[in-house]
Amino acid sequence: MEATHATYPTARFRVGVDIGGTFTDVVVVAEDGEAVHCVKVLTTPDDPSEGFLNGLAEASERFGVDMKAISFAVHGTTIATNAIIQGKGAPAGLLTSAGFSDVLEIAYQTRPALYDIFYEKPKPLVPRYRCIGIPERITAKGEVLTALDEAAVEQAARQLAAEGVEAIAVAFLHAYADPAHERRARAAIARAVPGMIVVLSSDVCPEYREYPRTSTAVVNAVLRPRVGPYIAQLEHRLAERGLGTGLHLMTSSGGIISAETAKDLPVNLVESGPAAGVIGAAFVAGQLAHEGVSKRILALDIGGTTAKVALVDDGVPALADEFEVGAAARPTTTASRGQGYPVKTPAISLIEIGAGGGSIALIDPGGALTVGPESAGAVPGPACYSKGGERATITDANLVLGRLDPEFFLGGSLTLDAARAREAIRRDVAEPLGLGVEEAARAIIDIANAKMISAIEFISIQQGIDPREYALVPSGGAGPLHAVAIAAALGLRTVVIPQMPGLNSALGMLATDIKHDFVRTLYRPIRQLTAASLWSLLDEMADAGTALLKKNHVPADQREIRCEAEVCYVGQSYALRIPVPADRSEGVLGQIDAAFRASHQSKYGFASRTEPTLVTNLRVQALGWVDRPRLGSYNSGQGVAAAMKDRREVHFDRPIETPVYDRTLLGAGDVVVGPAIIEQMDTSTVLPEGTSATVDPSGSLVVTIGVEGN
Amino acid sequence: MPDIMPGSKATGLTDIDPVTFEVLRNAVINATEEMALTIRRAAYSTNIKTRADFSCAFFDSTLRCIAQSFAQPSHLVAMATIAPASIREYGPDRLRPGDAILVNDPHRGSSHLNDITCVTPVHFEGHCIGYLANMAHHVDVGGSSPASLGLNKELFQEGIIIPPTRVAQGGEIDDNVLNLLLSNVRAPRETSGDLRAQLSANFVGAARIVALTRRYGAEVMRQFFDELISYTERWAAHDLAALPSGSWEAEACRDDDGFSDEPVRLKARVTIADGRMTLDMTGSAPQLASPLNCTRTMTACALAFVARCLVSPNLSINSGFLSRLEVTGPDGLCCTALRPAAVVGGWEMAQKIAELIFLALHPAMPERVPASGKALIVNLGFGGMDPVRNEYFCYMETIAGGGGARPDRDGATAVQTNLHNTENAPIEEVEMNYPIRIVRYGLIPGSGGAGRFRGGLGVRRDFEFPFAACSFTVFSDGRRFAPWGLEGGAPGACARYVLDPDGEATDLPSKCTVMVPQGGRVSVQTPGGGGFGNPGERAADASAADARNGYVLDPS
Repeated sequence: MEATHATYPTARFRVGVDIGGTFTDVVVVAEDGEAVHCVKVLTTPDDPSEGFLNGLAEASERFGVDMKAISFAVHGTTIATNAIIQGKGAPAGLLTSAGFSDVLEIAYQTRPALYDIFYEKPKPLVPRYRCIGIPERITAKGEVLTALDEAAVEQAARQLAAEGVEAIAVAFLHAYADPAHERRARAAIARAVPGMIVVLSSDVCPEYREYPRTSTAVVNAVLRPRVGPYIAQLEHRLAERGLGTGLHLMTSSGGIISAETAKDLPVNLVESGPAAGVIGAAFVAGQLAHEGVSKRILALDIGGTTAKVALVDDGVPALADEFEVGAAARPTTTASRGQGYPVKTPAISLIEIGAGGGSIALIDPGGALTVGPESAGAVPGPACYSKGGERATITDANLVLGRLDPEFFLGGSLTLDAARAREAIRRDVAEPLGLGVEEAARAIIDIANAKMISAIEFISIQQGIDPREYALVPSGGAGPLHAVAIAAALGLRTVVIPQMPGLNSALGMLATDIKHDFVRTLYRPIRQLTAASLWSLLDEMADAGTALLKKNHVPADQREIRCEAEVCYVGQSYALRIPVPADRSEGVLGQIDAAFRASHQSKYGFASRTEPTLVTNLRVQALGWVDRPRLGSYNSGQGVAAAMKDRREVHFDRPIETPVYDRTLLGAGDVVVGPAIIEQMDTSTVLPEGTSATVDPSGSLVVTIGVEGN
Repeated sequence: MPDIMPGSKATGLTDIDPVTFEVLRNAVINATEEMALTIRRAAYSTNIKTRADFSCAFFDSTLRCIAQSFAQPSHLVAMATIAPASIREYGPDRLRPGDAILVNDPHRGSSHLNDITCVTPVHFEGHCIGYLANMAHHVDVGGSSPASLGLNKELFQEGIIIPPTRVAQGGEIDDNVLNLLLSNVRAPRETSGDLRAQLSANFVGAARIVALTRRYGAEVMRQFFDELISYTERWAAHDLAALPSGSWEAEACRDDDGFSDEPVRLKARVTIADGRMTLDMTGSAPQLASPLNCTRTMTACALAFVARCLVSPNLSINSGFLSRLEVTGPDGLCCTALRPAAVVGGWEMAQKIAELIFLALHPAMPERVPASGKALIVNLGFGGMDPVRNEYFCYMETIAGGGGARPDRDGATAVQTNLHNTENAPIEEVEMNYPIRIVRYGLIPGSGGAGRFRGGLGVRRDFEFPFAACSFTVFSDGRRFAPWGLEGGAPGACARYVLDPDGEATDLPSKCTVMVPQGGRVSVQTPGGGGFGNPGERAADASAADARNGYVLDPS
């Protein structure tokens, strides 16, 4: 991101590569942390690894980065998500306990829409004729009720192989309690069809509740034959070019895993893109030299069709245990489950709403103005793109209000047609409401902002968290256009605009740790447990984690093991996560119990002191710390006056002749006072009156809201 | 908002600007959704925490329903009726901050006794500004058999009847009232936990409404409520007026009332005119001495469900929408039952009424109406002593079936239909918590009615009681009259309820309580959906996929 083209003959580098729908972003960081470079190249959809290599080649050329000097490479990819959404997963088979082979067809037994006669239930990822029941049964306590019929497994495997499947998922009832039958089934499949890929539910998701567990195994089975070779090929090509290190991949939980692990567990990659963006936002905030900015942030990514919000406390994003891949948007209530395919792996908890740059504004039949979720997307796009779109969108509103420069959109790569934007807003919104065009445009922006404000409140206030203690970190092309107004409405004091909001994801990949997550179902009342029984399961998972970290060459002093218990009252199902203190005495159980009751009180407003508690699952996270890049040496500029490139009329609560600054000409320590527009290649920052922005030495803009007397 | 809110005088939104309006519209819905999340996470019974058989709503101080979270359509009208009725009866002036009242009386405007509604007032600066309410299906409220599903003749046999009763005062639960309730139910620990979850949800919702009022002011909130109701009503009227207007009739039968073999006749006259939709059930069977009755409120839920399917998908659900709908005709029918009618199985009636409305409308809008589907709840309840835990256990669940084929596509397989949409209970969770075993759970091949578009498949779930004998109740229907097809589509398969399915295979009536011996099994087999259009016109690739996937039976 620095302009100077230095050569580092001896330096070593880390690279983060994020492959998005349009662009492949490459961020290169010198290991001494002093230089951060970035390259944007076009994504190559037919073979995304081409774009990956093109990006590296360009970085190598422009910044003198020797491939052999790359010590660490992290990759984020949408290949897993796209394979599911576009139905391009591998043909797979499923073996279940006999009598239960329709588990995918039945799913949650609900319909995904309540009042739509023409709804569709998601089509199972494995068709019914490739789902086969196997005589076997293990009870909830792990006792064998019916022995495994291994001959039936072999027969089924041969049948499925003849059908052309490339992977077989095995998901038997209560396999979380005892995986013995699943493991013997794997051996039987290997005997019948050597080389067949086998995915066990007890390996990918050893948790109770059969449908989400089976679904997770099936998603992994459908992905492995597609994602595994992609990663292998990428590794191969990188090795050919002399890349001197193993490749890592970003996971849905915001951690990274080795390429080797990712090939076996691609289900962990499904939400890696959004996760990387959140990690990037947290990293940027953590790098600020500016004193007094909260280390707790709300990451707000505004794209073309949706906006996503996540909450990060002191660098640690909130995690969800389960999500659905292929669902239209992340549901806000559990009542609307069943729109996609459940995946039970840890994922950064996000709220996604239908409001982005392309969201369409219209007057509904009741006479109210609504914005989104319908989107014009990139094609036909907003009216002002002149690519066939006729409807008024959020981008059109921003243009009409003077917040975007028609000549400098995406650095001038697309010229916007302000007349078309005005016409669309006049026809669709202003005229029906009896408003002026600018007033109508402001109404569109206010309503879009209100939706994002609701989403932020949903993940903060609902959790008992006051958003005013947080700093807002926007990303995506439209993020900085809206962020300051949203923050002001929520009563936030600070907005942190990253230096390159469009590159947050690639940067985030270099700003996280190796993370391996383990889970085991225990499902026993706390009072029946002993410290020894608790630690034997935790140690087992911790040992497996340590072994993986050793395999990743993580030195002992950079490893960390975190243990958590999921606890609820006997009879409840939705457990709260409680950290397990490093205490080997029997006292540990009382500490967990007390921490749970306190957490229940704060979350739900009541807590019984006497009712028995239950440990449902135990979790272990094995962390391998990775050094962070440092963003500490942003150029000093020629002063604010020199960075001002234009003045134009911008509509805030009234039209104001507003100075426009070129962000690349602003230097560390410069202060821009609102009203102002700060433009850069991938976005524009809108500063209303009463706000000011300071360029932090790390390159971010720190916007302070509530500035007196200007 | 930092920017000035533009005012608008051009549309019907006269008293409030469009931005504030839209912001508040989303915010109150979010408040009810937060309530839904709270109740689900804090609840104890499988029926609420896993199957999500509950709904949440906000009412303004004039007792109009302003917003609902969309959990169960069956609660659509029920809560909008019982919450205001109970507040009026209890006396709004007697409700202080932190108070809560419970009510479940079907004949005061609720559904069946298992659906307990909890209502809490919200105060701001000393004035009541509205009420939060939630309705949740409790696993047991006493009565003659586990899960309160007994085949009874009067309401008094079905469980404890709760008139509007204060259960909490100043945020504290009144143990006298709670103990009275818990002494009358079979699963007091679950009921107690579920009631606390319901209270907790209301307090969460109240905090949110207070915060909104603090931000926008009580006067703006009042204007917003007025405008939201009027706006929704305008929109509903617009959409209903766009449908063909006229009056249409249809008839169908439920199998029996559980005491005789006599079919129970239902007759519906549906009228769409002047932006309103009405349903008159004159000609239906008189009130029964059986729990198959449903109340007028439950019948209105069926009407509201169908109407909601026919209007714009973004239309809000509140009193503005509901005011365009009405169930007319006499009281005292099997579908407008009065005290002391038993009603626990009334949803089986209401489910069929929803489809009867679709059937009546079919000639007027053939491209918008599905064939008949499962149209049942399939209530299953069982209970007895749990020899492992040495405590009384009580469990209830409902099983999905086939959806009716649509004019342009097949019916969905293994879904809940019409008025409810409860999830299944995971087998692993059930077997961990109750002394039962599920030995089979799958689709029933061939159960979907043939057609150009095939009906969805029904589901079979078999239960075993390995540890002790158990009382098992099924309260359902659909063994005799199959879900109809439309335009030449074949009917779906009927339901079956079978004792000892792998041995003597005795067919059980659709409404009964039996003692299943230790080690015994019961099989529940739900109906498939009816087909749509001539089966001969089915696309070849669709037929091939049916055969390959075993959705249809091998003709040989």
